[in-house]
Amino acid sequence: MVCDKIQNLLSPYVDGELTPEAKADVEAHLLSCRECAELLSLLKLATASLADFPEVEPSSDLKAKLYAIPARQKKFRFSLDFLVKPALQPVFATVTVLLIIFSFYMFGPYKKDIDKSVDRQIHRGYSQLEKLYAKAGSVTDSLGAAADNILVSLKKINPLGKNEE
Amino acid sequence: MLVDMYSKKVFNMAYQFSGSYQEAEDLTQDIFFKLYHQLGKYDFEKNFTAWLLTLVKNYLIDMYRKTKWEKRQRDDFDKHLHSVSAVDNPESGLTEGENKKILWEGLNQLSSDIRMAIVLKEIQGKKYEEVAEILGLPVGTVKSRINRGRLQLAKILHHKKEKIHGL
Repeated sequence: MVCDKIQNLLSPYVDGELTPEAKADVEAHLLSCRECAELLSLLKLATASLADFPEVEPSSDLKAKLYAIPARQKKFRFSLDFLVKPALQPVFATVTVLLIIFSFYMFGPYKKDIDKSVDRQIHRGYSQLEKLYAKAGSVTDSLGAAADNILVSLKKINPLGKNEE
Repeated sequence: MLVDMYSKKVFNMAYQFSGSYQEAEDLTQDIFFKLYHQLGKYDFEKNFTAWLLTLVKNYLIDMYRKTKWEKRQRDDFDKHLHSVSAVDNPESGLTEGENKKILWEGLNQLSSDIRMAIVLKEIQGKKYEEVAEILGLPVGTVKSRINRGRLQLAKILHHKKEKIHGL
């Protein structure tokens, strides 16, 4: 227990931050405890060794990459600038409105009703098309009959005045 | 300009914290990328170096929590930090180079918060107040972390010494 307490004071003891009483307690304990005394010398050794770690020079390759970062960012920012151009704002607004409408359709309570009415409209359109097609067929028939009648009438008139017999 | 002035500082902090040269290079690039993004947020009344080192610290701790470097081994001490001397040390019974090697590897046994405090205070030689500013903590908390870190490293040296003398 005493050793634990003293060991916690070793760092401030090395930094010279203990009160005179605490310092005296530590020193008295160190005289009688070989383990704590050894720990203190190893603690001092550790701080001295760590302070002596040399600085490492970053490689020239890394520096070249670091110099290139602003240019890379400019490129990136250019693409963003393009996206926020005012000319594209109406497009974004339209897309947003469409998305909102689509989300109302997808997640709203009237999806089934809307689907049904769309189906009905499609069927109605289709049947109207069929009717139109049938009408177009009858018109073609009557036109053909009219053309035949004209030809028969022309033959009867005989505009050249020649007698066929 | 920023690269000339701060690349070495940032790279060394990343290397001392992560223990891997390759990892430190990648981290330094990421940090500079982030730095250019965040320059607009810098308050000119503040100390730029402290602001930058806080950014570095936050990034390193975040990455550490995401990837847990502690599972990986640190680079060999001699590989890049070649200052090994053959001088015997009477306290540990080991040479100076061997002590440094043990401490270098021992840094991985410290928690990320304690390791960061030790890197700033002991390896980079900053004052308690500077470390507190970078870490954004009260000086008392920083002192407590340094105290625990120093004790742990001293105990690591002690165990190594016992192992060697036991053989």
